[in-house]
Amino acid sequence: MLEIRDLVVSVEGKEILKGINLTVRPGEIHAIMGPNGSGKSTLSSVLAGKEEYEINSGSILFEGEDLLEMEVTERAHAGIFLAFQYPVEIPGVTNATFLKSAINSTRKARGLEELSPVEVLKLIREKAKMLEIDEKFLKRSLNEGFSGGEKKRNEMLQMALLDPKLGILDETDSGLDIDALRIVSDAVNQLRDPQRSFIVITHYQRLLNYIVPDFVHVLHEGRIVKTGDKSLALKLEDEGYDWVKGGAEALI
Amino acid sequence: MNNIHQEQISEHMERFINMFHLYDVGLNGHRHEPIAEYRRNGFELLKSEDFPSRRDEDWKYTSVTPIINQKFIEAPKANLPSQPTLDFENHAIVFNNGHLSSQLPTIEGVEILSVADALKSESYNNWINAQLQVQSGTLKNTFLRLNQAFSASGLFIKVGKNINITKPIHIQYNSISDSNQTFITHPQLFVWMEVGSNAQIIEDYSNSGSEDASYFTNVVNRIELGKNAKLVHLKLQNESFKAQAVNNTIVSQMRDSNYSHYALDLGGNIVRNNLSIRLMDSNTLSNLYGAFIGFNDQHIDNQTFIDHAMPHCQSNEMYKGILADRSRGVFNGKVLVRQDAQKTNAFQQSSSLVLSPTAVMDTKPQLEIFADDVKCSHGATIGHLDESSIFYLNSRGLSENMAKSLLKRAFISEVVDHIENEDLKELAYAKIEDKLNLMKI
Ligand SMILES: Nc1ncnc2c1ncn2[C@@H]1O[C@H](COP(=O)(O)OP(=O)(O)OP(=O)(O)O)[C@@H](O)[C@H]1O
Ligand SMILES: [Mg+2]
Repeated sequence: MLEIRDLVVSVEGKEILKGINLTVRPGEIHAIMGPNGSGKSTLSSVLAGKEEYEINSGSILFEGEDLLEMEVTERAHAGIFLAFQYPVEIPGVTNATFLKSAINSTRKARGLEELSPVEVLKLIREKAKMLEIDEKFLKRSLNEGFSGGEKKRNEMLQMALLDPKLGILDETDSGLDIDALRIVSDAVNQLRDPQRSFIVITHYQRLLNYIVPDFVHVLHEGRIVKTGDKSLALKLEDEGYDWVKGGAEALI
Repeated sequence: MNNIHQEQISEHMERFINMFHLYDVGLNGHRHEPIAEYRRNGFELLKSEDFPSRRDEDWKYTSVTPIINQKFIEAPKANLPSQPTLDFENHAIVFNNGHLSSQLPTIEGVEILSVADALKSESYNNWINAQLQVQSGTLKNTFLRLNQAFSASGLFIKVGKNINITKPIHIQYNSISDSNQTFITHPQLFVWMEVGSNAQIIEDYSNSGSEDASYFTNVVNRIELGKNAKLVHLKLQNESFKAQAVNNTIVSQMRDSNYSHYALDLGGNIVRNNLSIRLMDSNTLSNLYGAFIGFNDQHIDNQTFIDHAMPHCQSNEMYKGILADRSRGVFNGKVLVRQDAQKTNAFQQSSSLVLSPTAVMDTKPQLEIFADDVKCSHGATIGHLDESSIFYLNSRGLSENMAKSLLKRAFISEVVDHIENEDLKELAYAKIEDKLNLMKI
C-alpha cells in the first residue's frame, strides 16, 4: 500500500528527515513514536502533500503510484487521510458545509454518486453519534473555539466520513481524557479492515492498548532507529528513548 | 452669463449647465410645478460649485474626473422584458434606466409617491426641503446638487406611525444599454419613517444589457427615522464592469431608533459610497455593514460618517472586502463623538483580503472624540488567504478552487451574517457567490 524509500526532506534549508524507509501493507497498523522534534509530523505532512517541505531525495509509492507527483487534493481522493496534530480553525465555514463538500467532492472523484443533502446529513449524523459528537458542533464554524479533544474527535469524524485507505493519526490521543481516548480508538477499530491501513503517531503507549499495532517504529533525528512489535512501546515508556538513541549509532 | 463668470466654470460643469437648460426650455407650461422649482433650486446651487478633485481631503482616493469628463447622452428608453423576481414575497418597484416602469405598490399606512407628487403636498414638501438641509458627512459633495437638479423620477416613501411593513420593499434599478455611449441616471429616494414604524428596503442595482454598457448612476437617498422606528436597508450593487456609481445615503436618527445598513458592492468600475448618519437624539443604534469584491480594475471607495451628537448611542461598523487583479478598495470611516455624546459606544472594523500583488487597499479610520466617557474602537487588517487553511481543506478532498471560494465566502460572511432576515441574507449570499464564481484566483 505505502512504500517509503530513502526519503530525505528539508524545510527552510534544514534537513529534517534523513533517509526514511517504511513499508505499510494493507490492513496493517504501524505506530510511530519518538521524541519531540524528531520529524514525526514532518513525515505525516509530507505524506499529505504539504508544500513547504522540500523532497531532496527518495520516493513514496502509494498503491503503486508516485505519491510525490500528486496534488494534495488528489492524494485525499486516492485515500490518504491525515488527522492533524493541530487541526486548523476556519471561522465562517460551518462544520456541516465543510463536511458536505468534502464528502461529495471525494465521492465524485472516486466515481461514486454524490449524496443528496438529506443523505449526506444522515450519514454525518450517524457517524457523529458514534463519536459522541453533539449535533450542535455541526452548525459551528470548523474547529473554531473547539477544545483540544473536540478537535480531535472532529478529525476522527472526518476520517470516518471520507473512508480512506490509509489513515495517518498525528498525536490524535494527546490531551485526550480516558473516555475520549476510548471513543477515538473505537472509531479507528471500527474502521479496521483488511484493505485499510493506519499510521498512528503517539507519545503514549496507553493508546496502543486500544489500537493494537502490528509494528512500532522509533523515529529519532529524522531516522527510524528501531522497529519492533507492541512490546517495544511498553519498553519505551518504561525506559525512555535513551537506549534507542544509543542504538541509532550502532545501526549506522 | 458674462464672460468673466464663464471662465470660472469648468468644462464639465458647463456641459451639465447646458443639459439643464435643455430640460428647462422643454418645460414650457410646467415651469411652475413644484418639481420644476425643486430641480431649479438644485441647479442654482450646482452651478455655483465645482466637482471635487483629489486635492479635496474627502476625495483623496477617488478621482471623479473620469466620471464627469464623459459626454453623457440621455438615458435610453428601455423596454425590459419582465425581470426575474425575488423568490420571497416583496413589494416591487422597478426603474429601468432611471424611469419608473412599474406601478407603485399600495401598502396600508404607507405613502409611496413620486417625488414630483410628494412635493405637491405642503407637509411633504416641507419635510423634503428640511431633508435637503441635512449635511452629508462628505465635504464638497457636488453630486447631491447634481442629483437634485437632474432627478427625473425620484421616489418618496412615508411609513406611518407604528406601521410595520412585513414584506421587504424591493426597489430595482435596471440599467440596459447596448450602445457604448454613456448615459446618466439620478435615482433619488426619500424615506420617512414615522414614530414606531418598521420596514426593510432593498435597493438593487443591476445591469441587464451588454456587459460593456457604460453609464453613471448618481444616487441620493435621504432617510429619517422617527422615534423608535426601525429600518433595515440593504443595498445590492451589481452594475456592469464599465459603469460608475456614486451613492449618497444621508440618514437622521431620532431617539430610540434603529438603522441597519448593508452595502454589497460587486459591480461597477468606479464606485463611491458616501454614507452619513446623524444621531439627533439618545439611545439610537446604527449598524453599518459593507462587503465588496473587486476584480480587474474596479475601484470601490466607501466613506462613512457617524455623527454622535447625543449621549447613549451605539454604532457598529464593519466593512470587509476581497480584492483581486488590479482592483482597489478604500475605506474611510469617520466617527465624530461630540462633547455631549457621553456613554457613546462606537466600534469600527475594516478588513480586506488582497489576493494579487497589484490589488490595493487603503484604509483610513478617522475618529474624533470630544467626550470623555465613551467606548470607541477601530481596527483594520489587510491579509491574504491562509495557506494552512487551504492545505487543510485540500487534504479533505476539496479542490484548490473550492477551498479558496469557501474561505472567501467565509471572510465575507462575518458581514453578511449580521443580516437578520433569512430571505435577505440568502439573497446577499447568492449575489456574492455569483461574483466569487467569476473570480479566477
Ligand atoms: N515549517 C517549518 N519551518 C521550520 N522548521 C520546521 C517546520 N516544520 C518542522 N520544523 C522543524 O523540524 C523538526 C521536526 O518537527 P516535527 O514537527 O516533524 O516534529 P515532531 O516529531 O512531530 O515533534 P512533536 O512530537 O513535538 O510533535 C523540528 O525541529 C521543527 O522545529
Ligand atoms: Mg508532531
